[in-house]
Parts: sequence; structure tokens; C-alpha cells
Amino acid sequence: MEFFGKIVAAGLMNGAIYGLVAVGFVLIYKSSSVLNFSQGYMLLLGAYIFWSFRAALRLDLLLSLLLTLPTAFLMGIMIERLTLRPLIGQSLLSMISVTIFLSLVLEGVVSLFWGTYPLQQVTIFPKGSLKFGKTILTAESLFAFGLALVVMMALILFFRYTRLGLAMRGVAEGHQIVQSMGISVKRILTVCWGIAGVAATLGGILLGGTLGFQLGLSHIGLLAIPAAFIGGLESPEGAILGGLMIGLIESIVSGYLGKAAGVPATYIVLIVVMLFKPYGFFGLERIERV
Amino acid sequence: MLKLNNVEVKYVGVILVLRGVSLEIRDGTIIALLGSNGAGKTTTLKAISGLLRTELGEVTAGTIEYDGSRIDNQNPEEVAKRGIIQVMEGRKVLGHLTAEENLVLGGYIVKKASLKKDLDMVYDYFPRLKNLRNATSGYLSGGEQQMLVMGRAMMAHPKIMLLDEPSLGLAPLLVDEIYEIVARFNAEEKTSVLIVEQNARAALSVSEYSYVMENGRVVLDGPSSKLADNEDIKEFYLGLSKLGEKKSFREVKHYKRRKRWL
Repeated sequence: MEFFGKIVAAGLMNGAIYGLVAVGFVLIYKSSSVLNFSQGYMLLLGAYIFWSFRAALRLDLLLSLLLTLPTAFLMGIMIERLTLRPLIGQSLLSMISVTIFLSLVLEGVVSLFWGTYPLQQVTIFPKGSLKFGKTILTAESLFAFGLALVVMMALILFFRYTRLGLAMRGVAEGHQIVQSMGISVKRILTVCWGIAGVAATLGGILLGGTLGFQLGLSHIGLLAIPAAFIGGLESPEGAILGGLMIGLIESIVSGYLGKAAGVPATYIVLIVVMLFKPYGFFGLERIERV
Repeated sequence: MLKLNNVEVKYVGVILVLRGVSLEIRDGTIIALLGSNGAGKTTTLKAISGLLRTELGEVTAGTIEYDGSRIDNQNPEEVAKRGIIQVMEGRKVLGHLTAEENLVLGGYIVKKASLKKDLDMVYDYFPRLKNLRNATSGYLSGGEQQMLVMGRAMMAHPKIMLLDEPSLGLAPLLVDEIYEIVARFNAEEKTSVLIVEQNARAALSVSEYSYVMENGRVVLDGPSSKLADNEDIKEFYLGLSKLGEKKSFREVKHYKRRKRWL
């Protein structure tokens, strides 16, 4: 039982991070139907930028966060401006391919500036733990979990109650329609990419704190993709829940069946979910009236 | 006042769709634009609203002037902000949003403070929408969706409303209802309306002045009451032959009279 509690806690923590990254993935898909395969590499770049502020420049934790997040927002915007904006009106396939090759470019940029070796370890969270019976929860997992919940709530409220959030949902329905109402699709896409950059970076920082800042972080970003699919590609809250689910499955399976089984198990679950719920748990069903 | 002067539109740089269209919409009037399929009516609307640019089309010659400044080839959102709102053909609701959310987005470009008042105005024109405010708009009936997209355009307090086939696929009673509302909106809010229609009878009855398009050109124009008496319009658009009689299919000739407009 003790073991079980431990892996559940670890799974939830990782899951919360997958969820965060998946939120960025979902936002971009929702507003432009583009599957952003470079999300994992935005995570990597964001995490490294944070590392530079925190470890290389030795800034205060809070200050480095305050500097990193706007930079991450800008990073998202720049990526959209430079790579996808010129492709507006082109086929979706070409836009999606661009995001795939963009990952290589981002990885190249990171290894060019920071090298390919793992960077010096940075502690982010206070070391400490809480005990619930026999289960020990580390401060790290609590922070990650709490942050994911806060982001999820904030996004739900944002989409439901603000004009910009409503406009984003409108953009997801059809670009031409919202343009005819005077809403600038380009501006909305810009904001979406910015938020996606921030979400990826937050996930990257949390991961970097536990796994170390290394190029392998980007692979974690790939797990955000099944998370987003399971949750439903259009739903930020679904993305977080999907992330938690993926984290749990990965952690439980690798706990009991061995480490190598963890990641494949998540994809098997993805396939099973897709068979029964093709739009994911919270995705939007296509509206068809007869 | 909106003025189109010899507007020529090409799609993808080669497909010539409008070959010199000139028309005029004075403030506060209802204008009808008639014509068969493929005549260029919708393209004319899109040229005005700028939506053409989202479909690889562009105005290659001529000018579109609105209140003295040119708006041809401007971004659709800029044109909308200047008060020209197009209601696209085919009831383009934002399907997963509720009816009220659709309306709120329609008012995105006007001040937030008047939102409540504007919603009440739309619910006053379309009482049926009030009960459906929280329904998912994609599941509304065709008539309700048409009301919704028109209400959504009203939310922006347009100076000019471009209505593309509001009667498409609706029951005749509903068509009358919708045209009554258009006339009322025009009278009360002083919004000019440019209606594109296949249903010539309805459009002629509500409009002040009409244009008939064929093959990318305006071939006939005049006050709507006069056009409704025009022999050719009667035969080709209103389905009447000889003064006001219904066409008898028993006496129909085996060849079809075709009209060359130019």
C-alpha cells in the first residue's frame, strides 16, 4: 500500500505537468486546428531560458520566474509570427509539417547556446514533505499539482467569462465567421501561442526541477499529445485531466511492470479511449443536424 | 454612403468574377441585388466586406468608397469596425457556442457597457431567441439560426448590413417574418441594408431600389416598384407571364425563351 501511494503521488505530479503542457497544445489546436508537435521543444527552450536566469545569472527564484514567463509568452508569439503566420491560408498539412521541423530547429537552437550536456541542477521547490498516513507527499508534487489545478481553473473561467476567451472559442469555430464580425483572428492566434509558450515553459521548469535540465525534457512534451487526445482536443480542462490520467497510468504501470512498460502503456490506453470516445472525454462532438 | 465604381474582382489572379460592377447604397435605404446563380452577387458582398481576401480573391480594378474613403482590399475586420457587417449565406452560427454567446461575440467591436441593452434590442426584434439564449446554437432550427446570425450582426450596430440570402431554405411564412424584421430594423436603427436574394418577390417588396446582376455585371437597375413591373423581371424572376397571370404549364412552349441582357 505504501508503494502504491508513492507511485500515485508521483504519477499525479507528472500528470499535472503533462496536463499543463497539453493545455498549450489544446489552445493552439482549438484556435487554428494546427497540431503543434513542437510543443515539447517549446518546453525545452522555455526551461533552458529559466535555467539561464536562475543558475547562470544567479537571480532570485521569483525574479527569474517573473522574467521567464513574459519571455516565454514572447517566444510563443515569435514562433507563430515567423513560421506559421506566412502559411495562413495554406493547407493544414503544411502547417503541421512546419511544427514538426520546427522542433528540430528549436532543439538545435538549445544545443547551440547551452550545449548538449545536462546543465547544473537547480532546486526550485523547498525540500520538504507531508505525511498522510503512510503516504509521503513531497512538496514538489504538491506544488506541481496545485499549479496545474490553478491553471485549469483560471483557464475555465477565462474561456467562460471573458470576452477574449469567448472570442477564442469563436475563432475555433471558423475564421471567416469571426472575421465578418470584426474580430482579428491574427491577434487571437498570437495570444494563443503566447499562452501555449507560457504553459510549456511552466511545465518545463517543473520538470527541470526534478529531472534536471537536459535535452531529454522535450520527450516529456510528447506525452502531452496523448493527454490532449484523451481529454478531447478542444478542451483545456480535458487536457489537464488527460494529463493526470496519463501520468497515473505511466507511473503505476512502470511501478509494477518495470520502467520500460510505462510509456507504451499510455499509448495503449490512448488507442482504447479513441475506440470508444473518438472525441476524447471532453472534446466537442461534431454537430450534425439531419 | 457606399459606392462601388466599376469594380472588377478576380479569384486567384485569373478567374474574373465581377466585370465592372457599379452600385450605390445611400444611407438608410434598403437595396436588393438580384440575379441567378453564379451572377456574382455574393462576390459583390464579399468585395465590400473584405472577406474576399480570405478566399484568395481581390479587387483588381475600380473602387469601393465608403463615406469618402476607399475600403477596397482592406482587411475584413477593419471594414467591420467601420460599420459594414456581412451576414454570410448559409446561417453560419458558431455552432458550439450558445445563442447568447453568439450574440455577445457579435457585439465584440462595440463598447462593453451597452452589451445588456444591445442584447435586449435583439431579443426585442427576435423574441424567439430570448427563450433559446442558452441553447447550443448548432442545434437550433434553420429559421432560428437565421434569426441568430441576423441578430448577431445587429449587435454591432452596423451602418450597413450586407444580407446574403436570408430566405434560403426557409418556409414562406418565416421569410415574410424575417423581411418584416429587416424593414423594421432599417426604419428604427437607420441601418442601410443590401440584400442579396434569389427570392425576388420578397426582396423587391421590401427594398427601395434594386439591381439585377448577370455574368458579373449589373444589367438592370431601378426603383424596386418599377422593376417589379418590368416584363423580363416578371418572367424570369417572379415566374409570371403576361400581365400578372400564373404561368400555365399546359401552354408552355417547347423551346425556352432566353433573355440576353446585354
